[in-house]
Amino acid sequence: MRIAIIGIGQSLRGDDAAGLTAVRQWQEKFPETASRPEVRVEASELPGLALINLIADFDVAILVDAVQSNAAPGTIHRIGEKDLSAFSSDAKSAHGWGVAETLTLSRQLNQKLPAIRIIGIEAAQMVMGAGMSEAIEEAIPLACEAIEQEIKSLL
Amino acid sequence: MNNIEVSALARVEGEGGLYIGLENGKAVEIRLDIYEPPRFFEGFLQDRFLQEVPDITARICGICPVAYQMSSAFALENALDIKISPQARALRRLMYCGEYIESHALHIYMLQAPDLLGKESVFEVAAIAPDVVTNALRLKKIGNEILKTIGGRSVHPVNVCVGGFYQWPDAAPLKALLPDLEWGLQSALDCVKWAVTLPYPDLEVDYEFVALHHPDEYAVIEGEVWSSKGHKVSIADYETRYIEEHVKHSNALHGHTVDGNTYLVGPLARLNLNYEQLLPRAKQALVENKISLPIKNPYKSLIARAVELVQFYKEAIELVKAYKPEGPAHVELKLKAGEGTGATEAPRGLLYHRYKIDDNGMIQFAKITPPTAQNLPRIEADLFALAPQIVSMDEDKATRTAEHLVRAYDPCISCATHFLKLKVEEK
Repeated sequence: MRIAIIGIGQSLRGDDAAGLTAVRQWQEKFPETASRPEVRVEASELPGLALINLIADFDVAILVDAVQSNAAPGTIHRIGEKDLSAFSSDAKSAHGWGVAETLTLSRQLNQKLPAIRIIGIEAAQMVMGAGMSEAIEEAIPLACEAIEQEIKSLL
Repeated sequence: MNNIEVSALARVEGEGGLYIGLENGKAVEIRLDIYEPPRFFEGFLQDRFLQEVPDITARICGICPVAYQMSSAFALENALDIKISPQARALRRLMYCGEYIESHALHIYMLQAPDLLGKESVFEVAAIAPDVVTNALRLKKIGNEILKTIGGRSVHPVNVCVGGFYQWPDAAPLKALLPDLEWGLQSALDCVKWAVTLPYPDLEVDYEFVALHHPDEYAVIEGEVWSSKGHKVSIADYETRYIEEHVKHSNALHGHTVDGNTYLVGPLARLNLNYEQLLPRAKQALVENKISLPIKNPYKSLIARAVELVQFYKEAIELVKAYKPEGPAHVELKLKAGEGTGATEAPRGLLYHRYKIDDNGMIQFAKITPPTAQNLPRIEADLFALAPQIVSMDEDKATRTAEHLVRAYDPCISCATHFLKLKVEEK
């Protein structure tokens, strides 16, 4: 079983850094899991359409990203691909190809894709600049636990 | 009909809106509102060491990072009076091929084709023509693979430095791309065939086309700045004829000739000015598909991009086959104070850089003129030319036709937003 763990988001856009930060901290906290040969870790600020290429050769892809729904900031969502539409962005620019749009297009074209698991961290703000909200900082250890549990359940 | 207002343009890179003000069925005001925040790259390049510049300027754009690396590297090499080796020059062209391929495949299929097929987005195109979109994704991916093989990653590649490259990429992974490149060439030829069958809106404009010209090759990385009105200036003299100014509604500067005229850079300008330098296979594609030049319809820049896809797939194949790294990958730098200019043809058009450096190679001054800033006044002028046609359309169709025109330019608003001066007037 080959597993890709992909942290997604923009490090200079407030809480959008949550996915990248969580994957980095999980790597430091659980080095044994992170260095297993069947596990591949990637940090990708804005993968856009290239997300497909990042995950194509794996059996499972765990995507860790900031999300915005109506939950309390810092809430950890463990969701599947089907639940994504509730979180999809409405950005239509070439820079704004979101995860949901890219996966939808790939499915539509019958491309081979791994099983997708998503760990979403509810964001409070995505304003310009570095630094996350306090509630999100506090939620990062929980997100690390969620990543570890998810992988453990697969291996 | 009411005024046409599109608050956020879709399928362009960056953030901008469109406003067409109408009075008695006539367009009286047209604005491409560029509200994407300014980026200040020219400001924060100051007091940086020159070798940092190519990797910083690459960050201006995720779709054309190579263009920013190349223009800055050539400008700084000129400032130091150094010339890169022929092998490094060939590798820079190959890297540029990768960028043209990924950028043009994205624009042709994902950004402009939905307009021509009357669809909202590429998802709807995928529903009626899944093969076209599958091929498009593969065409684009191959371009990104070239960048990754030479520059370590498919977006914002590294490895280009002032003086050449930090290191030669291994030959084997490059040669392994050949089967994909051969497939891409065939697919690009099919793309031209398909491009000429699409229903383009009617619009003919008497443009002043401006592009680099090189006597021996389809100009991308060096040459003279040629205009279809017969003006020829060296890259060093670019600013004696082409200037930028600030306008109120745009965080991107607007380019003009010194005579105050608009001009057009990009694929139409290149193809119309440089078709004689196309590789035989690309020239043949023009003949086979009965494409006559010059093309003066901005919507048909898609055809020019398709022809360039053939050109750059073919050139990539030749360059990969010939690739044989020998000698040092970069020349040693001897630092001295000076000034240098560089211009290359980004996928969206001519990209000019000028730098001043001190004795220690620290940047004292930087000027970057991106293609979209040069084209913005031209897009607005085209919208005026289009206005008599669209005022008789229903509002929805009029809006789509105007938006399509803007998208046909493939504007990169993120690249174009930069201020030189901020002037605050108190009333």
